[in-house]
Amino acid sequence: MDRLPILSIMTWAPFASALVIMFFARRRPLLVRWTSVAGTGVSLVASIWVYWTYDRVRAGFQFQEEFSLVPSLGISYLAAVDGISALMALLTSIIIFAGVFASWTTKQRSQEFYALLLVLVTGVYGVFVTLDLFVLFLFYEIAVLPMYLLIGIWGSSGDVRPQGIFGWAMGRTGVGTKEYAAMKLTLYLLFGSAFILVGVLALFVATGSRTFSFLELQQMRFDPALQSWVFLAFYVGFGILAGIWPLHTWSPDGHASAPTAVSMLHAGVLMKLGAYGVVRVGMGLLPDAAVDWAWLVGTIGCINIVYGALSAMAQTDLKYVIAYSSVSHMGVVMLGAATLTPNGLNGSVFQMFAHGIMTGLFFALVGLVYEKAHSREIFKMSGFGTMMPGIATAFTIGGLSSLGLPATAGFVAEFLTFLGAWTSDYRWWLFPAVIGAFLTSVYVLRVAGQIFWGPKSADPHFQDLADAQGPEWAALGILVFVLVLFGVAPSIAIGPVDTATGPLLRRLIGQ
Amino acid sequence: MTFETLTLLVPELALFALAVVVLLIGAVRSSAYVGRGPLAEVSRGPAGWTTLLGLGATFILTFTVREGASLLDGAFVQDSLALFAKRLFLASAAISLLGSLTLRTGAFSRRSAEYHFALVASLLGMSVVASARELVLLFVGFELMSIPLFLMTGFLKREAVVPEAALKFFLVGTASSAMIVYGMSFVYGVAGSTMLSDIPPPLRDGPPLLMLGMAILLAGLGFKIAAFPFHMWAPDTYEAASPPFVAWLSVAPKAAGFVVIIRLYLAGVGTAALVWTPVIAVLAGMTMVTGNLMAIPQRNIKRLLAYSGIAHIGYMLVGLAALSSSGVAMMLFYLVAYTFGNMGAFLVVQAVAQSEQSDGIDAYRGLAQRSPLLALAMLLFLLSLGGIPFVAGFWAKLYVFWAAVERGMYGLVFLGAVLTVVALYYYLLVARRMYIDAPERPEPVQVPGLLGVAIVACVIGVVGMGLYPAPWVTLAQRVASTLFS
Repeated sequence: MDRLPILSIMTWAPFASALVIMFFARRRPLLVRWTSVAGTGVSLVASIWVYWTYDRVRAGFQFQEEFSLVPSLGISYLAAVDGISALMALLTSIIIFAGVFASWTTKQRSQEFYALLLVLVTGVYGVFVTLDLFVLFLFYEIAVLPMYLLIGIWGSSGDVRPQGIFGWAMGRTGVGTKEYAAMKLTLYLLFGSAFILVGVLALFVATGSRTFSFLELQQMRFDPALQSWVFLAFYVGFGILAGIWPLHTWSPDGHASAPTAVSMLHAGVLMKLGAYGVVRVGMGLLPDAAVDWAWLVGTIGCINIVYGALSAMAQTDLKYVIAYSSVSHMGVVMLGAATLTPNGLNGSVFQMFAHGIMTGLFFALVGLVYEKAHSREIFKMSGFGTMMPGIATAFTIGGLSSLGLPATAGFVAEFLTFLGAWTSDYRWWLFPAVIGAFLTSVYVLRVAGQIFWGPKSADPHFQDLADAQGPEWAALGILVFVLVLFGVAPSIAIGPVDTATGPLLRRLIGQ
Repeated sequence: MTFETLTLLVPELALFALAVVVLLIGAVRSSAYVGRGPLAEVSRGPAGWTTLLGLGATFILTFTVREGASLLDGAFVQDSLALFAKRLFLASAAISLLGSLTLRTGAFSRRSAEYHFALVASLLGMSVVASARELVLLFVGFELMSIPLFLMTGFLKREAVVPEAALKFFLVGTASSAMIVYGMSFVYGVAGSTMLSDIPPPLRDGPPLLMLGMAILLAGLGFKIAAFPFHMWAPDTYEAASPPFVAWLSVAPKAAGFVVIIRLYLAGVGTAALVWTPVIAVLAGMTMVTGNLMAIPQRNIKRLLAYSGIAHIGYMLVGLAALSSSGVAMMLFYLVAYTFGNMGAFLVVQAVAQSEQSDGIDAYRGLAQRSPLLALAMLLFLLSLGGIPFVAGFWAKLYVFWAAVERGMYGLVFLGAVLTVVALYYYLLVARRMYIDAPERPEPVQVPGLLGVAIVACVIGVVGMGLYPAPWVTLAQRVASTLFS
């Protein structure tokens, strides 16, 4: 090997630390945590290095590593990054590094918790860097399955009471409990993976059962009818993970029940995995179908934006607000991709990054608030700003980014997407998008005002609450810093992303 | 009968000799048997151990047979499919034996020889079925295989549910045998011969009587493999019989049924076989749907595994429906993966049932904290059955789907893929009890040594095939290719 297999190091470092944790750190909670920090730290350094040294002039896929796994089926371990995946890998590193600190206080079975979390992260990196569809599918499964145990064991049951005409039925399934959420999330995502598997198999057979390599499949021009339904399969399959309406309902339940680090990782990174899959695999391999179905993807993106925002407004549970805001923001991602314009696509990828950081920050904060105040009820909490100024400030910065205030990453992303929507074939997409941004500001400011900046609550439970401490500061600091950095200097991200979206667009619309 | 003929029959002769020896041990023991107490423990031993060693020896002897040879003008063949099936029967029987040797109930001590004789006799029947290429021989083999199975199901006759289940199994089984014979009579009437090789020529014109006969035969075989709508006997039978036996029952007779289906409907039939594609595809779809949906409400682990087993039969039929060399190969691969996963799961059921006296899935609460390794083994088996990467079941499903996609059967593959999610739901319900719920009692589940060995063997199979499936795929492809050459 003439150079360091940097992508493999990035991908497998968390896995290696998970093994170390399982075998050597029994009943040593501190060793567990520092091993996790080391493993994710290695990944963080590697991903920053990859991102920094990525050759923007040469563009295309770089840092390529390849060795054959099953030659007879054309399966190989093929890893490489372009501008989009390099940014996504960076996002993953930031979130998980912060997530390790954010869940520092996990008490119950922390050894297994960290091990599963790190295994899951390996799956996420794998999906972002692999270019072999089969291996990608394997990594996808690794990223999905540990979630069941992570939520089922370490999650928390909410105070949601089943209501409405189907209340009786929901009551019997245990809506609101962590077991329900874990099962729902896992089944939804596996349902998606079933669609992905069929799509991948169809493409594989269409090549004459030769190869799963993305680079080779990209050279092929598949039959339009095949493209059409395979694109839909990928759109539904990956889209479920991206939270497309009406298949999004696993997301609020799952994210609200999950422990802090898992919510961060799941809403921050895994949902991007879905959007990334639609863009990379769906649009990248099936250009004709992507153009044909753009109206569907964009329209459902619009529904996501408005529906998610309205649902977020209706929630009384803080974690559900954040979860529904993710549904809304993922709509922006899908809308941007569907515009098929340079700005829209860049905005879409940038939104993946911005929303990842933002929602990671939110879930970290909600976790902290819950840990201190033992409540997620928005309208019971009030005036926390005086007791926890650090958390309050971070929450407000996150909120401002969420509603798209200039000088935050959220602004750049939404602005580019809106620009793209206006220049696309479907100009009316702009209106639901803007309405969504408006609604976002309503619920974000209302929540921030109620919890942190209102008059101090007289409730005896909410007196003398502590601010963030020690490792928790590390989590908040990293995330806020990144959020502002990429808002002030978006070109750090847009540059590499543009080198990847340009060729993709040329394939899509032949410009 | 030359010497060469005998060498070809070595596995069957060995099984026959073993059956006689076991029967003799039983005769000697029962006259020497004096009563309960320590002697009962001793008398449990010899028949079981003899059988186990005999099965091992027979397994080795299968490798001495010249592959591809035939006897009696082609009525009895030792082709690679037959040998593959025989090794599968023997290996699964050995794993089942390791489990049943640890059974502590009185009946297994007193009537040990009886049980093991029935097992060996049934195995002999299966061996004949796997090799038969003649209708009468096939039927005789089927009966020899089935009748001891009825007996073994009703072995613990003093327990309340057992006679009912055994009777049900018996009635359904004989009905299916009757259907097989009835179908065979039509086939013979049209083809004018009982040799399987004489069926394909008239099949090309598709005479209605022949098709009717083949359809009735397929229904009869459907009972044997428990495909929809002939699956009803499976849950009741599984629930009543002892887990190690059920582990074997859920694998070996079905494998035998599949071998016959392959021989009757695919091998040497050529393109005329494609008539059966829609029939088998519909059967596959209905079997998957029924098995998976019916498994959801089950609260008894054996019934749950029974219905999930029915669903797996559906997946194997998907591979078969492709009616291609790769389809058969992938189905055989699936069969091996299913053998390890399903038998392993039933063996864990045995361990838990012995300790908790319960087959409810609530008995698995907190198993991960009580016996982490046992829970991990069960989780691996369930994940394999559910088709999750890095365990055998994933490759099995993938390959079966691949074979079907090659034939353009996207609808069936979609259905199968979506139903795997349903399957994971009920597998995860068990996983949830093991890993998320708190245990009711803290002490670990006692796993007898031999049972542990059997479970470990299944784990090795499941994980080994999951991490390195290539040799098994090559083997299955080689077996299938000889049928289509």
